Amino acid sequence: MSWLHIFILFPLLAAVIIPILFKKIPRVHTGWFVLVVPLAVFIYLLTFLPMVAGGETAMYSLPWIPRFDIHYSLYVDGLGLVFGLIISGIGALVVLYSIYYLSKHREALHNFYVYLMMFLTAMLGVVFSDNMIVLYLFWELTSISSFLLIAYWYARRQSRYGAQKAMLITIFGGFAMLAAIIMLSIMGETFSLQALMAQSDQLVQHELFLPAMILILIGAFTKSVQFPFHIWLPDAMEAPTPISAYLHSATMVKAGIYLVARFTPFFGGAMEWFWIVTGVGLLTLLWGSLLAVKQRDLKALLAFSTISQLGFIMSLLGMGSAALYYGGGDEAHLHSMAILAAVFHLVNHATFKGSLFMVVGIVDHETGTRDLRKLGGLMSIMPISFTLALIGSLSMAGLPPFNGFLSKELFFTGALNAAELDIFRMETYGALIPIVAWTASIFTFVYSIVLVFKTFFGKYQPERLEKEAHEAPWGMLISPLILTVLVVVIFFVPNVLAHYVLEPMMASILPPLAGEFDIHIEAWHGFEPELFMTIGVVVLGAILYATLRKWIVLYNNMPRALSITNAYNSGLKGMESISRKVTDWHMTGFSRDYLRYILVIFVVITGASLFLLDGFSIDTANAANINGFEIILSLVLVGSTAMVVITRSRLTAVIGVGVLGYIVALFFVVLRAPDLALTQLAIETVTVALFLVCFYHLPRLREKEEGDGINVFNLIIAGAVGLLVTLISLSANGHRLFPAISDFYEDAYELAGAGNMVNAILADFRAIDTLLEIFVLCIAGLAAYALIKLRLARREQDENQ
Amino acid sequence: MSNIIVLPILIPVLAGSLLILLVKKHRIQRFMSGLSAIATLVASLFLAVYIYTNDGIAALELGTWPAPFGIVMVADLLSVTVVVVTSLVGVCCLFFAFRTMHRERERYYFHPLFFFLITGVNGAALTGDLFNLFVFFEVMLLSSYALIVIGGTKFQLRESFKYTIINIFASMLFLAGIAYLYGITGTLNMAHIAERLDGLDEAGALPVVAIVFFIVFAMKGALFPLYFWLPRAYYGAPIAITALFGGLLTKVGVYAIIRTYTLIFTQDVAFTHHFLILLIAGFTMLLGVLGAVSSFDLKKILAYHIISQLGYIVIGIGLFTPLAMAGTIFYYFHHIFVKTSLLLFSGVVERITGTTDLKKTGGILKTHPSLAWLFLIPALSIAGIPPLSGFFGKFALVLESLQEASYLIAFVAMFVGLLTLFSMLKIFINAFWGEQKHTNKQAQTPIMDVLAPVLPLVFLTIIIGVGAQWSFGFSMEIAEQLLDPSIYIDSVLKE
Repeated sequence: MSWLHIFILFPLLAAVIIPILFKKIPRVHTGWFVLVVPLAVFIYLLTFLPMVAGGETAMYSLPWIPRFDIHYSLYVDGLGLVFGLIISGIGALVVLYSIYYLSKHREALHNFYVYLMMFLTAMLGVVFSDNMIVLYLFWELTSISSFLLIAYWYARRQSRYGAQKAMLITIFGGFAMLAAIIMLSIMGETFSLQALMAQSDQLVQHELFLPAMILILIGAFTKSVQFPFHIWLPDAMEAPTPISAYLHSATMVKAGIYLVARFTPFFGGAMEWFWIVTGVGLLTLLWGSLLAVKQRDLKALLAFSTISQLGFIMSLLGMGSAALYYGGGDEAHLHSMAILAAVFHLVNHATFKGSLFMVVGIVDHETGTRDLRKLGGLMSIMPISFTLALIGSLSMAGLPPFNGFLSKELFFTGALNAAELDIFRMETYGALIPIVAWTASIFTFVYSIVLVFKTFFGKYQPERLEKEAHEAPWGMLISPLILTVLVVVIFFVPNVLAHYVLEPMMASILPPLAGEFDIHIEAWHGFEPELFMTIGVVVLGAILYATLRKWIVLYNNMPRALSITNAYNSGLKGMESISRKVTDWHMTGFSRDYLRYILVIFVVITGASLFLLDGFSIDTANAANINGFEIILSLVLVGSTAMVVITRSRLTAVIGVGVLGYIVALFFVVLRAPDLALTQLAIETVTVALFLVCFYHLPRLREKEEGDGINVFNLIIAGAVGLLVTLISLSANGHRLFPAISDFYEDAYELAGAGNMVNAILADFRAIDTLLEIFVLCIAGLAAYALIKLRLARREQDENQ
Repeated sequence: MSNIIVLPILIPVLAGSLLILLVKKHRIQRFMSGLSAIATLVASLFLAVYIYTNDGIAALELGTWPAPFGIVMVADLLSVTVVVVTSLVGVCCLFFAFRTMHRERERYYFHPLFFFLITGVNGAALTGDLFNLFVFFEVMLLSSYALIVIGGTKFQLRESFKYTIINIFASMLFLAGIAYLYGITGTLNMAHIAERLDGLDEAGALPVVAIVFFIVFAMKGALFPLYFWLPRAYYGAPIAITALFGGLLTKVGVYAIIRTYTLIFTQDVAFTHHFLILLIAGFTMLLGVLGAVSSFDLKKILAYHIISQLGYIVIGIGLFTPLAMAGTIFYYFHHIFVKTSLLLFSGVVERITGTTDLKKTGGILKTHPSLAWLFLIPALSIAGIPPLSGFFGKFALVLESLQEASYLIAFVAMFVGLLTLFSMLKIFINAFWGEQKHTNKQAQTPIMDVLAPVLPLVFLTIIIGVGAQWSFGFSMEIAEQLLDPSIYIDSVLKE
């Protein structure tokens, strides 16, 4: 047990006392206590930074379920650590922000912070776990805490819908991932990520390599809202804004990115990996940016922008994986630039998007609306928020002097490099990559401008706002301010970041190149294609923004029925209606149907196996001869059975049953079992007598019923069951393999002092059977008595008093 | 010392008999009932510890008639664990019943019948004789018919009729199966049968007889396609009884499958296990969960999930490897804890809101947060979310399916897991979230007294999940014992 183990579980442990603090100290906003937790984790994690920047890694292991090779083992390297810092750092800022955002009087803060702390532990666990099962455990925990947080205001229908959607999609991905993890463990015989990575060369040829890859990617794509799984994110915006900023923009949705980065050393270099990750990433990038433009709700706009930006990072991870195809040399270094862009943008996105979400939260909080049609002219009323929003947006649009510019330029570099690839059948489609990337960047520029201009410029419409707008309190501004400062600072000193943060991350993603990176990020690198692409983005973007009104109507032509959300909704509905149909079809509620099914199945399964397995062989060697008397008895037996079924008179039926019983008794006589015959006779007499007593009270059978006459289907079933039971009996009789143990009982007199062997068996050798059968009768008696006496008519009400 | 094997049967049967005489004396009856249930649990635990520390198996020849001529009781690791869990679930349901059961039902033999039911379940687990197994089944079933019908509401009468008629058919078939097997092997003692069949060259009619037995137990265990009686029959009875049934009764059928399919019917594993059981497991999971997805009633959803989860349990028997069997054993006990607690919680919901129709419930999280969070634990467990117990059962089964290249069953298990989660979320979202739909008076309903009996079960689903190293290790021991029938045979026949 190391300190790291404890620090990862620390938020969860702290969560236990949060409800107590909330109840006992209502004067102080619970958030102040909670703030300590992420801050402590952040500071603790900072102590690892020098070690990791020096190119070292560390592994801390704690056995949990060694039987399954499940250990609570933690691995600290560049990738995990930077994620950990982002998670705890932004976590602290979000908690600080939430103190001013959520009222301590009106809100169920204890729930809120417990969920949040649960999430913090879960997310830290995801990025530090080396054991894949433990990683999966924390992964699911992020989904659950996200589920709880989205529906924090659970009385709203939309919140519940969003929570359910997010949960179903991410857990679906989680299950796929679990299957992949199990496959990987079958391939590599380990659950340890590092041990698995070491075997990547041998396992490429394994038949499960491709299925495992696809399943892992499904897990990653569902979490990181890649097309077509992105549909849950816009609905997740029902969560309180601090949560949207934290989970649904800065951290949780990046877990998929983390997973892809983590598995790049294993799967990277394979053509399928390159194509799927790049392709899906680009598609998401483009789709998200196109849809972001048309949003009228600020948070929805940011949601689509997040989708698009995550596609951006994802596609870069795909392009960069080509470096592993080469494994080393100039080509590898060329393509490693895409990985650099990915990790750089990952950090940048956390800063500017986090601040933008918080600003949007401020706007919402201070004006009462997030609707772009109602907002406008807030520049002079909320000058600080405006400045923060402007910087964030311009960074997102990829303009200098903000960090987004640098990573956007690197992105173009990566895309242009990828287009030059002559492997993976890139010759045909390679050129598409920079085109898609560039197009998406134009739309990114447009929505970034929409965000700032529609909110802060234009006409102030106080009558359409729910509150009188004013600047937010300082407490709320501190968190976005810190992030915005980072946005600017990173632009000016990118290489400090590169040394401490980006290089260690790249070393984790591209281990063969570790230690060879010589990264130098510059804002100005001459009149290269990247610069012209940026200029093109600005010019075209500005034109498109100016003509927005003209072409935005195009979106209205998009058929609603074709949208993916619609597919999800009707999929759920369809599933429910199909299951209802299937269930109603066979669960009819009629015992005659049930018996029919059961008998048919009995006939089919046993009949089929009787013939398939060749178990059917009748050996008449040890069968007794059949005499005429037995034939007559059998015929009477059949006749009386038929009479019971066919008759419409109760009396006849009772007599028929009686006849049946007596014939069986006669059979016992013929087969020389007088005890049994006597017992049978006694039982039959009593039964028939009882029947006749009850007879008086029974309602008359209806003269004519539906389905009267001979039901051919039922006749066939009944015949088949009878035939089959007989056949199996004959077959079993023909297979008498061993002598019966009954010889033992023939010495009953010596053993038990009983002259009658049957009695000795019943009352001595197997006395417990008899005893229990007596209890069975006793129970039946109790049941009958209680059934007659007790009638609870209004059960429901009575039961709940 | 091996006389203590009968205690888990003897105590409830005596308690049941005594309680018949005490039905008029309400307080004494309750006191005796609670005391006997706890005594049964203590005796079972004692037995389990004794067996675990002494060779892991012991047999008792009743009336000292030597096996295979008399009847033997056999306590091996599986049966003692079943007995302990049965007694524990019995205690939980009984104490829950004290708080919820209608006084009239108690007057009409609820307590005696409850103990006869426990007698039947414990006896079925401990007996080493096939015909005696039938008799214990009868004791259990007769008590269950009685428990399910007492109260005599129209719904109960209608549904218990179906339940009874289907089960009587199954019992007849059971008897026929025993006759077939006796015809072939000439004995009824399970160890003796197994010994005689060991190393047999030609299987002959045995696989067919095996299938007859499978159908019998599948009908009792509510497997596809023989589960029709379950959802509505369980719906009608008071929740303490439904929970007892949901947790225990169907499991007895599965227990019998595990026992016979490891000890006796291992002649044609490729057909009976790998093909037939896996096929049935898949359909059971799928159709059961579809029933749950189609329902919008708390109790009905849970009833359908009993079916679907039973499908999971038998996967391991189908795969028939040590790890898969251990997965089955683990899942078996996990499901008893989880399902019983979920059903009891649904009873608490009904107590608060007066309904289990999810359209008429909502906002319980606000008025009864403890219930909501306690419900969520087994709900997530049943959906297979780590580190709760449901995950490890599913994990072992899926791991082993993939290892054995049974990809389809692994896929179905995963898919059904997702649908299970869907219906658990449906319950959580509609009952606990949303606008409060119950009255403010109902919001004041005290529930701590009824939550308390369920706590041990919730605690167990957490503890056997987090402590999987230990709990799964124990399942592994059970599985290894099961897969080596000679242990069982030797201990009974003492050769």
